[in-house]
Amino acid sequence: MAILDFFSYSIENLRHRKLRSWLTMIGIFIGIAAVVALIGLGEGLRGAITGQFGFLGPDVLAVQASGLNFAGPPGQAVVNPLTKDLTEKIKSIPGVDIAVNRYIETGAFEFNDIQDIVFAWNVPENKERSKFEKMLNLKVSQGRLLKDGDKFKVVLGNSFTDEDRFGKPIQVGNNIIFEGKQFEVVGILEKKGSFIFDTAVIMNEDVLISEFKDDDSVNAIAIKVNDLKSIGNVKRNVEELLRKERGVKEGEEDFTVQSPESALESLDDVLFGVQLFISIIAFISLVVGGIGITNTMYTAVLERTKEIGIMKSIGARNSSIFTLFFMESGFLGFVGGLIGVAIGVALANLFAFAGRQALGSDLIKADVSLALVFGSLLFSVIVGLIAGTVPAYHASKKNPVDALRFAK
Amino acid sequence: MNLELIKYALLNVRKRKLRSGLTVLSILIGVTAIYALVSFGVGLQNYVDVIAEQAGVDKIFLQARGIGAPGTDPNFFISKDDVEFVEKINGVQEISGLYMKTSEVKKDRQIKFVFGTGIDPDKWEFIEESFTAGVEKGRALKKGDIDKAVLGYNYQLENKIFRKPVSLGEKLEINGRKFEVVGFFEEIGNPQDDSNIYFTYGAIEDMFPEVKDKFGWAMVKANRNTEPRALAESIQEKLRKHKGQEEGKEDFFVQTFEDALQTFTNIITVLNGVLVLIALISVIVAAVNTTNTMYTAVLERTKEIGVMKAVGARNSSILHIYVVESGIVGLIGGIMGVLLGFAISSIGGAIAVQAGFSFLKPAFPIWLTSGSILFAFTVGAISGVLPAIRASKLRPVDALRYE
Repeated sequence: MAILDFFSYSIENLRHRKLRSWLTMIGIFIGIAAVVALIGLGEGLRGAITGQFGFLGPDVLAVQASGLNFAGPPGQAVVNPLTKDLTEKIKSIPGVDIAVNRYIETGAFEFNDIQDIVFAWNVPENKERSKFEKMLNLKVSQGRLLKDGDKFKVVLGNSFTDEDRFGKPIQVGNNIIFEGKQFEVVGILEKKGSFIFDTAVIMNEDVLISEFKDDDSVNAIAIKVNDLKSIGNVKRNVEELLRKERGVKEGEEDFTVQSPESALESLDDVLFGVQLFISIIAFISLVVGGIGITNTMYTAVLERTKEIGIMKSIGARNSSIFTLFFMESGFLGFVGGLIGVAIGVALANLFAFAGRQALGSDLIKADVSLALVFGSLLFSVIVGLIAGTVPAYHASKKNPVDALRFAK
Repeated sequence: MNLELIKYALLNVRKRKLRSGLTVLSILIGVTAIYALVSFGVGLQNYVDVIAEQAGVDKIFLQARGIGAPGTDPNFFISKDDVEFVEKINGVQEISGLYMKTSEVKKDRQIKFVFGTGIDPDKWEFIEESFTAGVEKGRALKKGDIDKAVLGYNYQLENKIFRKPVSLGEKLEINGRKFEVVGFFEEIGNPQDDSNIYFTYGAIEDMFPEVKDKFGWAMVKANRNTEPRALAESIQEKLRKHKGQEEGKEDFFVQTFEDALQTFTNIITVLNGVLVLIALISVIVAAVNTTNTMYTAVLERTKEIGVMKAVGARNSSILHIYVVESGIVGLIGGIMGVLLGFAISSIGGAIAVQAGFSFLKPAFPIWLTSGSILFAFTVGAISGVLPAIRASKLRPVDALRYE
């Protein structure tokens, strides 16, 4: 038998038992749709969340004092904070392009008589300013970025222009109050999609220090290296310097030096774990769908016992009979998967859209990759094939004489 | 006739062992997942209820706004003056401010960062009442215990916080100073609280002079005759006026324990609900499978139906036969699913407790067990309705002639 004959025979049989085939495929496509929709949504959400933090290039290192991660902004929940004199020393390490102090100051922000708690961070002065702006890819959508000597002037993140946040959108030229001090807005950043930019108040470093700091602590130190290849060396040298400066032994460091990307990995791991758990629960329905296929195929074998007997008696080999049922079952999986993927993609986007409308958060996105589509399709075929293996085996092993004699 | 019906259904289920078995399997998988997930949800709700009861609904939190965990944002705090002012408000029975400072603990070259809580030694009993946990081993802290600390439950365990367990009387290096461990708290049930370290006010103020009189939050207890929610509102308003802040621009917020707990419970319930919904998908698939199986059964037994009708069976009897049969398939799947779900939850709960998440303890109320079984039966019966209608509508003559 040619492979094409197997195909047409399978399709013919499936069409013959339309109702049963449909019900079986419904089982598979519900499962596949659930898996595709949930993985697609999870992937989109995970990408959006990690995207909140992953805006720095691979050539950047962040130095932080150790403490309780995720208990607040960097450098907040620490025991022994970094100090700004370290930055000067780090600058002299070979391979360091720039090293900048990162201050993060939370405070009450007021505009239009409405108050909110927000955070402010600094932009360094002088020649480091342009390198820093380039490192973060800072661009304004209105007004201008800060320049040296801009006292009591701020640039705001894009979310401050939201109408419902402070009653009316904040514009360039408006005056706002941060921690009791009045500032003039000179620029609004482009929308970045990360809260670190979109919800931030940005001011010059000297203003932030003179107005809001009463000690030498810094939240973090950002280092950009000259050459990506030397980043490992720079990291080691910075660690050594900090150990010496802070008087701690190797293995007992109370600080971390890592690229923001590697810092993100632990967050990503947690999110991935959640996604995996949900996928496993959705996956259960696929297993149930697979059982449905097995059941249908057993019935099909039973129904066609006589047919199998005839085929065998005119010379069909066991392997041909096996292939026949095996392919039919795979076909059930494939068609079920095809419909399921289509529904799943639609559902993922629909949910993401509904979620965005309901919660007003851009974080909810669907990201159905090509790999997910083809993976699911392949998977549904495999489920079909596995589900069909035992019934097909039984069919192939039937004794022709008994099969011919079989009465329905 | 009812008993006869069930007997006949069971006979048929048994006759087609393989097919019935596969159908039961598909139902049982879904029921297992739902039963296990709900049992964890119920267990969590029970845990929260117990806390609510023990800590009492008369507690109110006074917290600073700001970003991050309480006590970590140096710009926002509850001052000693705030606490003293609130203490005088009518209806407040007791109040105590708590310091929260990230602390570095060192033992055998291992370093861990945890929350250090500064407690007023004079209010120790009040704090124990609010935390629903007391000192289990050793003693509480007293005034003047400037180099002594009480540790959370998990420090006594091996390979939990440190490789080796901490023992009473041991000296630990905390934030660069030596502290003697004088007591251990009872288990609270989550890894974060169970890794806390408790100091006296004096110890915190000595280590971190910059936070003196700046508390992370404060715990308030309402008088017996005062409604906590009303008191929370009155504290909010009076403290705001006292601090000269406008409405909506307070740098603090007041929340009753009950409301805070409710928020937490709501989140958990929604999350659990989503998981159950996803698990429900597999039940839908199982229902489709059952319908399929029943259609096949009707087809196979067409002749039998014809005979039954020929000897006087009414359409409704045929309908009942097939609905009951598929209900029984669901029932068997439901019972097995509940058993398997019980086993999985029990094992999962034991693992969670081992890992320090003792609040993840599943509960198996009767309504859950009976509800799951009833649900499985109903799903089975409903799945059988369409095939049963087809069976009941068969014309006896055609059915008898069917080959």
